[in-house]
Amino acid sequence: MPHHVFGIRHHGPGSARSLVQALSALQPDCILIEGPPEADSILPLAAHEQMQPPVALLLYAPDEPQRAVYYPFADYSPEWQAIRYALAQQIPVRFMDLPVGNSFARDKAAESVEAADEPNASAVIRRDPLALLAEAAGYADSERWWEHMVEERQDSSQLFQAILEAMTALRNEVDTDCPRDTAEYEREQLREAHMRKTIRQANKDGFQTIAVVCGAWHAPVLQTLPSAKADDALLKGLPKLKTTATWVPWTHERLSSASGYGAGVDAPGWYAHLWKCSEAGVCHSPLQTRWLTRVAHTFRAQGLDISSAHIIETVRLAETVAAMRNRPRPGLAELNEAVQSVMLFGDATPMQLLHRKLLVGEALGSVPDETPQTPLQQDLTQEQKRLRLKPSASDADLLLDLRKSTDLERSYLLRRLQLLGIDWGKGGKRANGKGTFKESWRTLWQPEFAIRLIEAGFWGNTLAEAATHKLIKQAQDTHSLEQLASMAHESLYANLPNAVDVLMQRLQAEAAISSDIVHLMQALPELARLLRYGDVRKTSVEQVSHVVTGMVTRICIGLPNACSALNEEAAEAMFKHIQSVQEAVNLLDDDSFSQQWTQTLQALLDQHGLHTLLAGRCCRLLLQSGAVAEDESARRFGLALSTANDPAQAAAWIDGFLRDSGQLLIYDETLWNLIDRWISTLGDETFQQLLPVLRRTFATFTAPERRQMGERVKQGQAALPVTSATNDMDASRAEAALPLVAMILGLEVIHAS
Amino acid sequence: MSDNTLKAVLRQHAENEFAHELAALREADTHARPPNWVLSPWAVRTYLLGGKLDGGIEISPKYIGNARLMEIAISTLATDRALLLYGLPGTAKSWVSEHLAAAISGRSTLIVQGTAGTGEETMRYNWNYAQLIAKGPSHDALIASPIMHAMQHGLIARVEELTRIPADVQDTLITILSEKMLPIPELNTECQAQKGFNLIATANNRDKGVNELSSALKRRFNTVILPIPDTLDEEAAIVDRRVASLGRALELPAEKPALAEIRRIVTIFRELRSGVTADGKTKLKIPTGTLSTAEAISVVGSGMALAAHFGDGSLTARDIASGIIGAVIKDPVQDSVVWKEYLETVVKERSDWKDLYRACREAL
Repeated sequence: MPHHVFGIRHHGPGSARSLVQALSALQPDCILIEGPPEADSILPLAAHEQMQPPVALLLYAPDEPQRAVYYPFADYSPEWQAIRYALAQQIPVRFMDLPVGNSFARDKAAESVEAADEPNASAVIRRDPLALLAEAAGYADSERWWEHMVEERQDSSQLFQAILEAMTALRNEVDTDCPRDTAEYEREQLREAHMRKTIRQANKDGFQTIAVVCGAWHAPVLQTLPSAKADDALLKGLPKLKTTATWVPWTHERLSSASGYGAGVDAPGWYAHLWKCSEAGVCHSPLQTRWLTRVAHTFRAQGLDISSAHIIETVRLAETVAAMRNRPRPGLAELNEAVQSVMLFGDATPMQLLHRKLLVGEALGSVPDETPQTPLQQDLTQEQKRLRLKPSASDADLLLDLRKSTDLERSYLLRRLQLLGIDWGKGGKRANGKGTFKESWRTLWQPEFAIRLIEAGFWGNTLAEAATHKLIKQAQDTHSLEQLASMAHESLYANLPNAVDVLMQRLQAEAAISSDIVHLMQALPELARLLRYGDVRKTSVEQVSHVVTGMVTRICIGLPNACSALNEEAAEAMFKHIQSVQEAVNLLDDDSFSQQWTQTLQALLDQHGLHTLLAGRCCRLLLQSGAVAEDESARRFGLALSTANDPAQAAAWIDGFLRDSGQLLIYDETLWNLIDRWISTLGDETFQQLLPVLRRTFATFTAPERRQMGERVKQGQAALPVTSATNDMDASRAEAALPLVAMILGLEVIHAS
Repeated sequence: MSDNTLKAVLRQHAENEFAHELAALREADTHARPPNWVLSPWAVRTYLLGGKLDGGIEISPKYIGNARLMEIAISTLATDRALLLYGLPGTAKSWVSEHLAAAISGRSTLIVQGTAGTGEETMRYNWNYAQLIAKGPSHDALIASPIMHAMQHGLIARVEELTRIPADVQDTLITILSEKMLPIPELNTECQAQKGFNLIATANNRDKGVNELSSALKRRFNTVILPIPDTLDEEAAIVDRRVASLGRALELPAEKPALAEIRRIVTIFRELRSGVTADGKTKLKIPTGTLSTAEAISVVGSGMALAAHFGDGSLTARDIASGIIGAVIKDPVQDSVVWKEYLETVVKERSDWKDLYRACREAL
């Protein structure tokens, strides 16, 4: 039999090591690997010196870049080692799986029929067939079982024989027991038929010793080759989509099963460590000691005091626990438990740090410059072409009119790129002028953007998808409400509705635990605007409203506490926040919010020791909303400005009451009357004493406002500035102005005639 | 001690109460025993976590919870490192410590109760002053502390509430734990620990105003944090059992509350303690108090007393509202914000909790 089958487990340092040993013993003249044949052409890049795992083979349909599949490889992936071995020995290496183009075509056909259903038991077994065997052997974790099996065996070729036998038994069991999930089963049949076909082809090509590297699950059916007829019949006439293959940099994080990668492992960093230790071959100290030393270094870098004595004791404890559990050496579970108990005094929180930094690791792979374009690059090229936006190395100004769909999409494009760290366009501020529909940008393409685009490739295959994923990740990493709110804003302007959903959930979670009322108050106006004017999708609106409800309630409960004992500066800041919350509440126009808010302001107004600036503003806001009657306000007004008060406090009160309201004072009858009446009742002496205080506030009004007030006072009680009602309109002259008005408003004039 | 005197004792030591289990384990134990250990680590594990021996003898579980924690604890003692059991009040720290000592040394009585007044002589040794004056310092005049006794005989000593002991007294333990000896300068001699000696300390990690361990001492302990009960069901069952016995002891005429009411209280406690609602959807602020299982028990207890003496005898939302508020609001400013938020955002939303919401609003 000219071909030898090696059943492996994806991403297992143990498998990789055994495979390398077995390959060196076998000396094959051709290697076939379970993988997409479309990628054969770019395989040689794997030996390129710039190629640094973790990397992934990416196959995608260039016409529909979201249809893509990744084949991640770490240094310790057996497939990767097989590829490297073949390239080093200069023997042919080929992929033998069913072409991805066929799978895509099948998926596409299936999509139109039904949605993907939940994976059933047999699918789970297929994904990790060793799990079942490990479970039978009494291990909770198949990788650990695998490690132990490989560590304990010296002769690795026999190991593959053993796996083959175990898998044959397992498959007989599963294939008869489990109900066949038709789609999945059919797919498996096709894949295995194609693998056998590739093996036959290799035989035909005259290779003498063929090494076949495949997932353990497939090993039994590749061992013997039945006649080609059945397989050929099965594979005949399969539909196919055009695909392109390339390498993309990958990260350890995305190798971990937590990222949702089906064949992922729990602790890529730990496996990388296992692999490195065995690869070096010069490890004088045992693996666990080196690992724990790295753990100690990681903690030290984070400012935790970990001494060498800690490491010694951790090693001892881990070994004792392993002995107690009848394990030959401590595994990851024992090491982690020992670290928590000895180094961290039982505290589990720093373990998360360890998980992120070491167990998963922050390694980022890189790919050679010659690598074919990634879909993200292609997506950008397409978008640039579609939106007629050429990258240029000299900067250019761009004025976008958001009422035009092309310009709007250009704005989306630039903003999405910004989110991905590619500042092709800068600015994006609303352009000067009356309208809010113009944005001005300054664009400048820099060569390093190309690299950043490749790096951004692992976030997704289209700009929208990539930006969404990146935002979601950032949202999960931050705890700042303000940042989250501004991210929600960004995602809205970049038209990324999926990100908005996640951001709202995060906002909700953070708002709940935030003890700083000010942050809530800062975030609220943005969200209120979003809720009122945002063109968010229906679901998002619901979510936003849920978040806003929670925030308003929390602000109302927490505000009285947050307002006690403020100094001048803090009161000034709080003044602005209260004002903006008031505006937000007005904007939301919801009775229950207004009611809660009014109650809070009332509580605040009566709060002892409240800064007078805030008291003044509360009184004003309540007067305006009608919650405090005119007489009552007048009483409070008088009270606050009694001569017994500290003049500075009185000044602050009236400042709070009247700030930024010159116009309002002129036109609001109630307010005017209130102040007018109050001043009229003042005695001469009191008036003179209070004059400087009043002046301080009135001086902040603009000159025309003061003039108008003066005129109003001069004209007497009820004389409002008159707006003359005109009914003698000249239609023809008015019409002449229409085109200009329409242009300003961005409307088209339809001529009735 | 005769059987009769044993029966009259209010509470028996673990090694007496479970003597038959320990004997059976010793008989069945085939694993290697560390020097001076009565049982092997494997047998100790079975003793704590329960199981069935080959001879058909059932070993009752002493600790219900994560088996891995017990494995770490036992391994720690086997490596001659001292063990620190850390956790909230009422998480079975002393209970575990007693049973560990009973299983490993066959004796759980070498105990130092830590208080603010614990002095160095309680940790080291004391003098028989009559002898001291009559004959001067001598071995006869020396009174060994429980720790010194444990060192001499290779046994497990226990220190309860380690963090309540003043810091300078705590540090007496450093030499004992690192060099395994206790110097006796008065006699120009020392007491060297026999193999098998070790120390189990318990400490409370939520109390304010305790004496934080010095890092030198901390380093000599392996720490195991005993967690609060894992699930709502487990905790509700614990509360239910305790409340039943409490009601009997106090002879309250109120009928035993329905499990549903207990679950509601336990739910509130668990949600506030963990800072997230039971469905995992809404985050919450966490109050400053511990909100331990024991406090939940006392809320139900006081509610029952209220219902019995001032109500119609059955536990209603009104009876528990004030108890809950008292348990949650320990800090009048911060905690009342936490509680109000919880009331308005969580309790209010639950349709079958309307009575509780109203009762709590009234009580505020």
